[in-house]
Amino acid sequence: MSSTTNGSKPLLSACGLSKYFPLESGLLASLRGAEAAAVKAVESVSLDVYAGQTLAIVGESGSGKSTLGRLLLRLLQPTAGEVLFNGDNIFAMNRAQLRAFRRQAQIILQDPYASLNPRMRVGQIIREPLDIFREGNMAEREKRVYELLDRVGLASSHARAYPAELSGGQRQRVGIAAALALSPQLIIADEPTSSLDVSVQAQTLNLLSELQRDFNLTYVFITHDLGVVQHFSDRVAVMYLGKIVEEAPTATLFRAPQHPYTQVLFSAIPRPDPSRRVNWELPQGEPPSPLSPPTGCHFHPRCPQAMTACSTVVPRLQAAAPERRVACLLYADAGN
Amino acid sequence: MNLLTVRHLTTEFRSDAQWLEAVSDVSFDLRRGEILGLVGESGCGKSTIAYSVMRLLARNARIRAGEVWLEDVNLTEADEDTLQDLRGSRLSMIFQDPMTALDSLFTVGHQVIETLQEHLNLNTAEAKERALGLLRQVGIPAAEERLNAYPYQFSGGMSQRIALAIAISCHPQVLIADEPTTALDVTIQAQILHLIRRLLVEEQGTGVLLITHDLGIVAQVCDRVAVMYAGKIVETGDVSSIFSNPLHPYTKALLNSLPSQGIARGQLENIQGRVPSLADRPPGCHFHPRCPHAKAICRDKAPPLQRVSDQQEVACVLYD
Repeated sequence: MSSTTNGSKPLLSACGLSKYFPLESGLLASLRGAEAAAVKAVESVSLDVYAGQTLAIVGESGSGKSTLGRLLLRLLQPTAGEVLFNGDNIFAMNRAQLRAFRRQAQIILQDPYASLNPRMRVGQIIREPLDIFREGNMAEREKRVYELLDRVGLASSHARAYPAELSGGQRQRVGIAAALALSPQLIIADEPTSSLDVSVQAQTLNLLSELQRDFNLTYVFITHDLGVVQHFSDRVAVMYLGKIVEEAPTATLFRAPQHPYTQVLFSAIPRPDPSRRVNWELPQGEPPSPLSPPTGCHFHPRCPQAMTACSTVVPRLQAAAPERRVACLLYADAGN
Repeated sequence: MNLLTVRHLTTEFRSDAQWLEAVSDVSFDLRRGEILGLVGESGCGKSTIAYSVMRLLARNARIRAGEVWLEDVNLTEADEDTLQDLRGSRLSMIFQDPMTALDSLFTVGHQVIETLQEHLNLNTAEAKERALGLLRQVGIPAAEERLNAYPYQFSGGMSQRIALAIAISCHPQVLIADEPTTALDVTIQAQILHLIRRLLVEEQGTGVLLITHDLGIVAQVCDRVAVMYAGKIVETGDVSSIFSNPLHPYTKALLNSLPSQGIARGQLENIQGRVPSLADRPPGCHFHPRCPHAKAICRDKAPPLQRVSDQQEVACVLYD
C-alpha cells in the first residue's frame, strides 16, 4: 500500500471495512429466514490517512462516501473490518478510550442550515463540546469560545446570535469552530463547501487550509467537486458503488487518471475553460442501483473499455505504480 | 435574430409595507440557436428574471417596469389566455427539481401526451406515438414500458429527462432552464446538457436561457454569458471573451475565486465582505463596498451597461 508516504505510520487506517444496510429487518424478515437482502453501501474498503495530510474521497451520490466517513468516526457500526486510529481499533474501544477518541476526531457537515441547532445561540453551540468534556471552568470555556470565534473569522458579537441570523458562510464557520473546540487531530469534512456560493467557498477553503497549517490537522475531505479536490488534497480515493476503484496522490491522479470510471468522471466535470470544451457524449447510462449492483466489476456496463472477463471477475484494488492503486483488469498485471 | 428581448426589466417583492427590488433595470437579448448563460451567486435575481419572463411570479412579486418581448408578443402586457397558450408551446421552462414539473398522480406518458394535445391538434394515438418518440430522444431506455410508469419510479436524472421531453414536445422557440442539473451527478449533468445542446439548439434553433451558478457549465455549453450581481447585469459578452478578458471587478473576482485545475495549492482569492441582502443593497454601483477599485463616484452613480467592444458590455466607471 502507500506506506512510502512520508515513511511514517498512518494516523487513521481502514482495513476491509464494509457496511451493509439490510432492506428488510425485524421479526417478519428473520422468521422468513431467507438470506437478508442488503445494500452494500461500503464494501471492503482499505485506506490510510497520514498526519497533517488531506485525503479526498470523491464519488457520485450513492457511491458510499458519506457512509465511509461515518464509519471512520464510529458513528456507524461496520458489518466487517476495522478502523485503526493511532494503532487502536476504534470499534474495540471501551467507554474511556472511545471518549478520548471522540475528542481527537471531529466532523464538519455539509449543510450548516441543518446541522446547527436553531434554538441555541452561536456561543452555546461552540461551547457545547467544552461542556460535554468538562474543559476548564465556565470562565475558561467562555474565553475559549471567543478565541475560536476570532480564529474562524467571526466577530465576538456573533456569540449571542442565533444561526438563523447568519449567512451560509458564517454558519459553516460556526460548524468549523465547534469542530475545533477540543483541538482534535482529525477532522472529517463531508461536503463542507457544497452548499456555498463560489466566493464564500473560497473563503471557507482558505480558512480550512490555514487551520490545517497552524494546528497540523489531518483532513478526510468527502466531496464531489474535483476543483476543490485538486486545490485542497494530497491524496484522492475515487469510489464507485461502495468500492474504491482508484487511489493516488492528487497530482498523479489528475495528470493521468487510470481507472475508466475515473476517466469518465473527470471528463464530465465542467471545467471553467471555454477553450477546452469536452465532448459530453462520453458518459453512458446511469449509475446502477446499489440494490442490485452488476456482477464482476460494478462499472462494466458503463465502461467504454469493458472486456468479457469484466462481467464475471471482481477486480482487486492493487498497486499499479508506486503510491497508486487501481481496481481494474486493464492494469491487473502492472503491479504484480 | 432576437427571440427574446428584455428591456429595463425591474421586478420587486413586497416585504412588510415596502417593495424591494430584486431585479433592477435589466436588459438583454436571446438570439436564435444560442445558449445564453445567466450566472451569479444566490440571491442575485437570476431566477426572478426567469419567472418574470414566464409571468409566473409569486403573488408578492410584480414587474414594476420594463418590457419582455417574445418576437412580436409583448409578454409583460399579455393576458392570461395568451400566456397559457405560449407556455409549453413557444416558451418552455425546466426547473432545478424535475419533480416541480411532474405530477406524481399521473403516469409520465399521460403528462407528455397532455402537453402535446393541449397545444397541437393530435388524436390520442398520434400523441402517444409522438410521446414515445420524445422519450426515446431524451434517452429513456425501454420507453414503451416507461410511458406507464409514475414519476416516483424514476431517478432524478431520468425525471429531468422526462421534464425535458415535455418542455421540448411542442418545439419551443425559447427554453428557460433554471439550474437544470444542479441536483444531478456530474456524469448525468453532462448527458442532460449535451441533450439540450443537440436536440434543441443545434437541431431546432431554439434559444436557451441557462441559469446557473456554475462557471464550469457556462464555459462548457454557453455561447454568451450575462453576469449578475445584486439584481443587475454587470457584464455581458461571448464566453471566450468573458473568461479570457473579464472586465468588471466582480467578474474578475468570481473567476479568481474558483479552485481550479492548474493552480497550485495556496490561497484562493476571495471577495471581501458578503452579498448584500435585498433590503440593504447599497446606493450607486451595488458592488462598490466590496470592490478593490471603488472610487467616490461609485457610491453615487449606478453605471449603465455600456458596449466596450464588439463582444463585451460592462457596467463599471473604470471603462467610461
